[in-house]
Amino acid sequence: MTKIRKKEKGNIVITLVLLILGLIFVAPILLLVMNSFKPYQEMIKNFLSFPVNFTLDNYTTAIARMDFVRVFFNSAFVTILTVVFGVIFSFMAAYGISHIQSKLGKFLYILFTMGQIIPFHTIMIALQTMMAKYDLTNKLTVLVCLYIGFHSAFGIFTYVGFLKSIPKELEEAACIDGCGVFRTMVQVIFPLVKPTSITIGVLFFLWTWNDFLMPSLMISSSEKRTLTVMIYMFRSNASSEWNLLIAALTLSIIPIVLLYILAQKYITSGITAGAIKM
Amino acid sequence: MAILYKKYKKYYYMFIIPALLLYALALLVPMFLGTIPYSFENWNLMSGSRSFAGINNYIKLLSDKDFWHAFLFNISIGIWTIVGSNVLGFIIAYFLNKKIRARGVIRALFFIPNIISAVLVAFIWTFIFAQILPNLAEIMGWDWLGNISWFGSPGTASFTIILVSIWQQIGFLMIIYTAGLQTVPEELIEAGKMDGCTGFRLVRYIQLPLLMPTITINLFVSISGAFKAFDVPNAMTAGGPYGSTMTAAMDIYQEAFVRYNLGYGAAKSVVLFAAVAAVTLIQLHFTRKREVEL
Repeated sequence: MTKIRKKEKGNIVITLVLLILGLIFVAPILLLVMNSFKPYQEMIKNFLSFPVNFTLDNYTTAIARMDFVRVFFNSAFVTILTVVFGVIFSFMAAYGISHIQSKLGKFLYILFTMGQIIPFHTIMIALQTMMAKYDLTNKLTVLVCLYIGFHSAFGIFTYVGFLKSIPKELEEAACIDGCGVFRTMVQVIFPLVKPTSITIGVLFFLWTWNDFLMPSLMISSSEKRTLTVMIYMFRSNASSEWNLLIAALTLSIIPIVLLYILAQKYITSGITAGAIKM
Repeated sequence: MAILYKKYKKYYYMFIIPALLLYALALLVPMFLGTIPYSFENWNLMSGSRSFAGINNYIKLLSDKDFWHAFLFNISIGIWTIVGSNVLGFIIAYFLNKKIRARGVIRALFFIPNIISAVLVAFIWTFIFAQILPNLAEIMGWDWLGNISWFGSPGTASFTIILVSIWQQIGFLMIIYTAGLQTVPEELIEAGKMDGCTGFRLVRYIQLPLLMPTITINLFVSISGAFKAFDVPNAMTAGGPYGSTMTAAMDIYQEAFVRYNLGYGAAKSVVLFAAVAAVTLIQLHFTRKREVEL
């Protein structure tokens, strides 16, 4: 009895210690958010104090100066299209590959898998040069196409792994019941891999929303800029206006944190599943 | 199944087409018709000159001090980051795996930096180093802290890059270590305890050997990530002071988009790719050998 109690006490100590360490760990983010609500003069006087004159001025100024709404929608447009079509195309291709029984099927699988080990920095010069040559830069839809192509390597790899575990009898039964190939794929198999789809979708979201290098190479017009690129440009041009920058940083982090809270289960299980399949 | 396959064969191929087209556009064409052939060309975008160079770019690369400096710097911050983030990620996972409360909240706290864009992470920390720490030093009268110029010397600038990279990567590695620790059977730990194996020895002789598959994955992820270091150093130090914190990927970027040497930059890209592929394959080979079967 005493032993059990002692153990529980020990666990509470571990809980508290981890909680405090965790709060220290995210302190930079907490300091960022806290300071974004202070007027500039108050902020530079003491960064560690709580806001006395609570203000939203930093936010309103930052939103206006950075054309934040437009940039936010550019990022949202690119990200949402990439997630939706990236998941659909990856699933379709994985479904096809897992059914093709010839050597070509195996070859296609290896071809897609290979994409995961090629760093973006290895192809960025060629990609930028080629896109500029055919006048495909400064187009958000082209950016979407490139993201889908780039992410599909991981998507197909992961889907093929999960499709293998689905019994083939299921499809044969669907076929006997008069279900065509499209209906089998969309109405029988796709619902079965729903957790995988959500995981892949969430990862595509994070990779696209957070990416900096691709949009900075592909987009030069200020109207088409994405969030990370805009913040980078603002920092290079107006490096001393920290009050505006931290407000913009806070606003950019919010969608990601919301996504994490909504999809926590899928993010963690997805990362684990994705990594273990390697 | 065979009947199904014959009947629908053409559909199965059709399903692959959209992904294959975009994959070719984004990756295959740039890699095989771009990077690789460009690397054998003498091509400068400023002067507009373009000619076949054979393996000249690669020969020039052998004695390119700046590139190898960037490459070695990349490896040294890589080693610190890989060791630091894996050790800390494992320790947090180890304690998270005990029967504790508020596990979800604690995990979220350590994981959130990992889902924020690396560029934003770099700026958050620039804010800490350039604004908050000097201010703190002033308020507290800590001259030693106030006198540090974080981005002013190669040593401190490298330290900031390593610290921020570790901070960002811990969460990811922790999640995978947590999943790995859950696969270690309870009976084995109980049996170990009965034989008098406790504490650190339990971790060293029972949990770690059984975790080799997880360690393989995490090392693979962090090594390949280390070679791709770009966003954090670029946004935080921009390679400075005096190019001392330039990574391989940043050097490639400079070569191509600042000095406009596309051919030479492409040759550097091929070397980077070869290095990543070689090191990760060697690592996979060695850690896979040490995995124990249950």
